[in-house]
Amino acid sequence: MKRFQLKLAVAAAALAAVLGCASFPSADETRALGEQMVADAYPGMPAALTARAVQDADQKICSKLGGEKLTSIEAGRIVDAARATMKYPPGGKLAGDWKAGERLVSDGAGLRVREGRVEPVKQNGALCINCHALDPREVNSGNLGPALVGYGAQRGNSDAVVKYTYEKIYNAWAYYPCSNMPRLGAHGFLTPEQIADVVAYLVAPQSPVNRK
Amino acid sequence: MAEPMRIRATLQGDVADVRILMRHPMETGQRKDAKGDIVPTHFIQNVLVTHNGRTVLDAQWSQAVSRDPFLGLRVKGAKAGDRIAVTWTDNKGDKRTDEATVAAAS
Amino acid sequence: MFMTRGRLAALALAVVAAPSPAQNGPDGLAVGRQMLAEDNPGELWVERGQRLFFEKRGPKHASLERCDLGLGAGRVEGVFAQLPRYFADTDKVQDLESRLMTCMVTLQGFTTDEIVRKRFGTLDNDSDMEALVSFIGSKSNGMKMNVPLRHPKEAQAYKAGEYLFHRRSGPLDFSCATCHADEGKRIRLQDLPNMTDPAQVQAVVATGWPAYRGTQATVRTMQHRLYDCNWQMRLPDLGYASAMSIALTSYLNHRGNGGVVQLPGVRR
Repeated sequence: MKRFQLKLAVAAAALAAVLGCASFPSADETRALGEQMVADAYPGMPAALTARAVQDADQKICSKLGGEKLTSIEAGRIVDAARATMKYPPGGKLAGDWKAGERLVSDGAGLRVREGRVEPVKQNGALCINCHALDPREVNSGNLGPALVGYGAQRGNSDAVVKYTYEKIYNAWAYYPCSNMPRLGAHGFLTPEQIADVVAYLVAPQSPVNRK
Repeated sequence: MAEPMRIRATLQGDVADVRILMRHPMETGQRKDAKGDIVPTHFIQNVLVTHNGRTVLDAQWSQAVSRDPFLGLRVKGAKAGDRIAVTWTDNKGDKRTDEATVAAAS
Repeated sequence: MFMTRGRLAALALAVVAAPSPAQNGPDGLAVGRQMLAEDNPGELWVERGQRLFFEKRGPKHASLERCDLGLGAGRVEGVFAQLPRYFADTDKVQDLESRLMTCMVTLQGFTTDEIVRKRFGTLDNDSDMEALVSFIGSKSNGMKMNVPLRHPKEAQAYKAGEYLFHRRSGPLDFSCATCHADEGKRIRLQDLPNMTDPAQVQAVVATGWPAYRGTQATVRTMQHRLYDCNWQMRLPDLGYASAMSIALTSYLNHRGNGGVVQLPGVRR
């Protein structure tokens, strides 16, 4: 089916050239071409790994070209889908051990593939400081996401703050549809317990994030 | 098989600014290869630079110098057209000599 | 006579490897970059690439002098500035690396498997491809990027590249645009070029790759850059010279038109 679409796209583009029209493929043709390229991009890789490159319905919606906006219907759909993924740690404790969280936030490894094999790690890291400033004494942090220095000191650690923080990390798209932030819990990249530890690191008064 | 060096020598007043890039693995003896075996030490031990045949630098190096080393020096009393020759010798006895001519200031 | 500037070179690399946040006064990072750019070790790859290009090699004992990189057999001047482009003999849009691969297979008799296996150099084995790309890239120095969009397949590659640049997938929901569509962004301390800014696309495309990488002690190519981004995105090993990699390069290189080529680059 995909092959057929591709041939159609090629034929259409060739025809356009003959007729002297603009030779850019249409959006549908472009999608068919692009998806065929993805299907061919990982030769010799195990199916379990190539499956990672297949888009889910929400990723598809969140792949707008530069300047294109989400419609409110799409945004609602993303939020609903994200809410449906939420899972919590057994026992319901959403803020865990901040010291365990501290080790996770600067760990950027997990699920990387080299030579067709997943690189072994003891546990996936939470990747946080790749994009967020957390501990004011840590200079090695990125800025793709907002700085979260003093996160708990500013917001407190009420049940509402803890629940929001947990859910934001579990699936950021429940609050910010198509956010750049990965859906760490929903993808199973982090376990609910790991997320609870990161939440504690953000809100605990003793955490370096909230030290004066 | 040793790869050629890249030598640039440019006149600044009566001083030649000499810059040398060398291709050499400079193995420290502490790195492991893909199979996990230690890669034996392999490094440039001696660098000799001559200006019209007269030695202007005779350096003893160790494994501490980086891979693909860069060496810069300034040679006083040089003129455009003078010959700068560089020879390195490594701990395996491999050797390489290359030459450059001092270019007038641009 | 022990202390030499060989040590200084290592020091300069250390400066580049440990960038500091924006600060007042002289930018140590810029000083290190300048030192590396003046005596770029990548020049050693250029020389080796030149030798490999003219050497009779492979089972067919042939040089690459009959290789058509887009501007006629054997011509290397200016070809980098006009790639990727459509080639009638393969009926494909090809970037420099995939086109070299075609020539190495058809003219010299190397196998695709062999070239792919040695595509990226290691500390134990140099890559011929990295040297050839350095040499050919440098032969466009001073020229403006001028990647054509005339053939329908070039237009397709461009549009597919734009689509793929924005396509989110994988266990971290990343696309290229996640990291490369905003101004002044960093992953940890690594600056990220903003590919929506024409000046930055020009700089990346015309002076970015191939580049000598201090941390890897070899020249890396655009294919390697894309492979490495894929790895960070937790996707499987990106196929060398895959249509996807070429489409992304077509999209970026065409948008970099006008950028003045200066290669090889030099990077952390």
